Amino acid sequence: MKLLLPVLLPIFAGILVLLSKGLRKKRTSLTAFAAFILAVEASLVLWAVWEESSVVLFSLTNTLTIAFHVDSIGRLFAVLTVVMWLLVGIYAMAYMKHEHEEHKFFGYYLIVTGILIGLDFSSNLITMYVFYELMTLTSLPLVLHERTKEAVQAGLKYLFYSVAGAFFALFGIFFLASVCSSLEFVPGGVLAGEAVAGKEGLLLTAACCMIIGFGTKAGMFPFHGWLPTAHPVAPAPASAVLSGVITKAGVLAVIRVIYYIIGQDLIRGTWVQTVWVVLSLATVFMGSMLAYKEHVLKKRLAYSTVSQVSYIMFGLSLLEPTAFVGALSHVVFHSIIKNGLFMTAGAIIVTTGWTRVEQMRGLGRIMPFTLAGYTVLSLALVGIPPASGFVSKWYLATGAMASGVGVWAFVGPVVLLISALLTAGYLLPVTIQGFFPGKDFDDSELKKRKLLKREPALFMLGPILLLAAVALLLGCFPGSLIQMVQSIGALAL
Amino acid sequence: MSVVWDLALPQVCGLGLHLCLDGFRLVYICIAILMWTVSGVFSKEYMAHYKNHGRYYGFFWATFAATVGVFLSADLYTTFIFFEIMSFTSYVWVAFDERRESLRAAQTYLAVAVIGGMVMLLGLFLLYDLFGTLEIDRLGGMAKEVLNNREGAADGISKRCGIFPSSAAQLYTAAGLLLFGFGAKAGMFPLHIWLPKAHPEAPAPTSALLSGILTKAGVFGIIVVSMVLFEAEEAWGTLIVALGLITMFLGAFLAVFSINLKRTLACSSISQIGFILTGIGMSCLLKSAGESNALAVRGAFLHMVNHSLFKLVLFLCAGVVFMNLHQLELNDIRGFGRKKPVLAFCFLMGALGIGGIPLWNGYISKTLIHESIVEYMELMGSPSVWKNVEWVFLFSGGMTVAYMLKLFVALFVEKHPQRQAEFDSMKGMNRFSAIALSAAAVILPVLGFAPHLTMDRIADLGQEFFLGAHGHQVSYFSFQNLKGGLISIGIGVVLYVVVVRGYFMEKEAEGKRYVNRWPSWLDLENLIYRPIINAFLAISAVVCRCVDQGIDGIVLLARVTTHSQKPKPRQQHDMNQLAYSLGYMIDRMGDFADRLRLPGKKRAGERKSVIPKLVRREQEIKVTGKLVEESFSFGLLLFCIGLCLTLGYLLAMFWAL
Repeated sequence: MKLLLPVLLPIFAGILVLLSKGLRKKRTSLTAFAAFILAVEASLVLWAVWEESSVVLFSLTNTLTIAFHVDSIGRLFAVLTVVMWLLVGIYAMAYMKHEHEEHKFFGYYLIVTGILIGLDFSSNLITMYVFYELMTLTSLPLVLHERTKEAVQAGLKYLFYSVAGAFFALFGIFFLASVCSSLEFVPGGVLAGEAVAGKEGLLLTAACCMIIGFGTKAGMFPFHGWLPTAHPVAPAPASAVLSGVITKAGVLAVIRVIYYIIGQDLIRGTWVQTVWVVLSLATVFMGSMLAYKEHVLKKRLAYSTVSQVSYIMFGLSLLEPTAFVGALSHVVFHSIIKNGLFMTAGAIIVTTGWTRVEQMRGLGRIMPFTLAGYTVLSLALVGIPPASGFVSKWYLATGAMASGVGVWAFVGPVVLLISALLTAGYLLPVTIQGFFPGKDFDDSELKKRKLLKREPALFMLGPILLLAAVALLLGCFPGSLIQMVQSIGALAL
Repeated sequence: MSVVWDLALPQVCGLGLHLCLDGFRLVYICIAILMWTVSGVFSKEYMAHYKNHGRYYGFFWATFAATVGVFLSADLYTTFIFFEIMSFTSYVWVAFDERRESLRAAQTYLAVAVIGGMVMLLGLFLLYDLFGTLEIDRLGGMAKEVLNNREGAADGISKRCGIFPSSAAQLYTAAGLLLFGFGAKAGMFPLHIWLPKAHPEAPAPTSALLSGILTKAGVFGIIVVSMVLFEAEEAWGTLIVALGLITMFLGAFLAVFSINLKRTLACSSISQIGFILTGIGMSCLLKSAGESNALAVRGAFLHMVNHSLFKLVLFLCAGVVFMNLHQLELNDIRGFGRKKPVLAFCFLMGALGIGGIPLWNGYISKTLIHESIVEYMELMGSPSVWKNVEWVFLFSGGMTVAYMLKLFVALFVEKHPQRQAEFDSMKGMNRFSAIALSAAAVILPVLGFAPHLTMDRIADLGQEFFLGAHGHQVSYFSFQNLKGGLISIGIGVVLYVVVVRGYFMEKEAEGKRYVNRWPSWLDLENLIYRPIINAFLAISAVVCRCVDQGIDGIVLLARVTTHSQKPKPRQQHDMNQLAYSLGYMIDRMGDFADRLRLPGKKRAGERKSVIPKLVRREQEIKVTGKLVEESFSFGLLLFCIGLCLTLGYLLAMFWAL
């Protein structure tokens, strides 16, 4: 019950929002209801993850069950999910005023919360797969929200990529179901060495398919294409959580498969590890390079997500404790930072209508606090100490060097640093031309539009500044987070 | 002086911060406090006409904190963290003016800082991988072990992955990367490009700090790498000396060419950093030869201290000029300093100090470095290479005298052809600025007049950090030592009279004017760095774009070819293509047959086309075909045929068995 409640409550609340006419008509009651449910949800999740517990819902067959279980990594992802969801929800209360059909947004927004918590709590591969597919389907309406032609096309692209990725992964699940005694998640893996004797080739192929398949959600090359298409058309809160939280579901799925089912010993030193490392590094570089060349801010941030989530994938692919710490702490940091950055992009759109970076000259005159928040978040993403991105980068790179994956142990850190340079190159210009528009900058146009000193609403500014502060503080005092992540790594590796 | 204060903050910023205070650090903290106080006082007047005071002072003091952090750091991790903060907060100084040139200079500054920072970080990764610690105290011994065992590969990336042949190679790579990072901030050739651009654009109080102490943060790192890791490495020492000499010569050369006050001072900073680097390199070399390296260590350290003090005074003097005239070109500011005794005194102290004139502080440190070169030369048996090194050193000193003479004469001796009366009526600066500036200027001769009382003690404080040996006392004013200084001064005066007054000045209606003889295309940044970076970006962008569109491209290709979703546009003749083509053929054949007949009988075209008839037939066939296909009996028929075939097949199988 303790585990079931946080999954079911938001789903039913979301359905209620979608169906009820009373909530639809009155904006205040709608947002208040959504905020209330999110707050209750957050406390429910905190209550649920307080100690380890498990529950079996029902059995599909003798061996396949739908069951929940809270373990250390699920706890990390669940808490991260609800906290981000709550903050973005608060932001959305102000942001969605400028959009139509809010009830649809909030309805699906709540439903996805429940599904994601279910995904984090899953205790076996089948449960996780079910929630993974549900997540794709229920988050689709968030992308489709605008109902424009581009939005529909982007939504379909999102759907096709996700479903194609999930099918890739499904092949692996079929194979694993045939060789594993159970598909329960156990740190270190449940696959017995003798069960796969003679089938190593098939096992590795299956592992590779699952990495690439679940990697679709994490935006890993070759199936990263949905991100830069889906993000710009979705409303800002939706792109924030898509980028900051939902991509992490792909990461969680890959961790579960490699570290909790197959076991990293069977992967280490094989061609699968090499493919994984190379694909993630290629994505890191490609994402930042394309972000650098992109002019639409939200699309730039989407490419940035492609690149940054692959930092995490790179850390995971090394199968090394230090790099694992780097990867998991980057999950937290990137989630915080990217949510904040997308919220800033949304705030800029709502206040000024600007979407392209070159329009944003003199932004510091309009919303200095928002832009300051953006700057801190950007520096954190670039990895400038003492902001948080630096800590995870340090662990990733030193872990890479300690991992012994041949030439990649050195190429990896080099690629990470080149990507950091490009990250500085695509994020900082907004700050620079915002705060230093030049002596010849003429603000009469801004005056005419009454834009000078017009920060976004408090509900929008608050979460942005809060996340910026957290991104900075977590970088200065990462001790407890690192310890927690280290304990997860010690179990799984 | 050993460590008097030690503070470790475990787990802060990941690995934990570690700060400590010893003699060297104490000296530099004092210098930082002095410099920030003096420029802070001066800023009050200088910034009076600017907006955004909050922004200015906020980043002014933030940079102070970060710089102090760099100098207090006891491990390289801490150094890096404060170094990056310092780079970013000082960016605001350079961009502060928001003119087009300032923004471009700031862009260069930021690019050099970010690239330098990342390269340094890579060096730290390698070092940490090799030793598992970045504590400066512990690195020395570990590095010695690695260097004693050249071929061996200790536990590290070199052993696990075979990327480097040996741990020593990994150590050298790491140190090279660190040198790149710290050297970028210090203004070492070939990374000096930001100095001549950023300094003229930044407000004067901050350019004094940029040049006086931020570059020293880079030098601090180079000292750690050279003195701690490569205490007695000949190869490393040679590299540092070579870079130092190039930097020293090139900076002075650029300064002689420059006709902009602050740009000249910026180039002079490059040159002086070269002197310091030479000192650092010499101490590695002397130690590798088994000699005491006290001369070189003390020379390098004292020159660091001295240069901070000169540049504080000189840049603030330039600030006085800019504050009044808003111009920096020598031709526009000629004669501004006349009838301004305080300004003249301060500038003169700075100029005499930096020029290495005996009885001023610059002379002491330059002499020490010079002596260390001479000592090493004699140790090596005076090969001609080292003779040349000595001459490069003396010649660079000469150029220093020449460009300082150029600035002094331009500011305080020459007269402006039009605005001299206006200049003379200007007051210059207010009382507070004057007091702060003269207080800073007085220090220089005080240090220089009583070197044994003052400078030797400072050197005693600092040299432990360099792991330098205590040496014999140097008699600075012996003939042997004066000779080097006097040669430099002689070269300088000759250079000024012949080259500066002869080649860099042009006759105009009244008197002469300065001309810029430096070819404008000869600019390392625009000629090499920017094109290379842009080419890299352009090429990788194209490659990435292709890769990015890969899957989308396949999907797109499938959609227009095999998996087309759009129904093809249907037209009448499409449906009956067979009839059309057949009819067309029959028609043409008929035409052909007509043409073969005798003319006049029946003309081509008069005959009716067969196409409509054929179309009608085809439609009929299609309709009936469809009716048949849909009919139940047709289905039954097909079913029967299938059944018969199956039966036949089964029979055949039975028969075969």
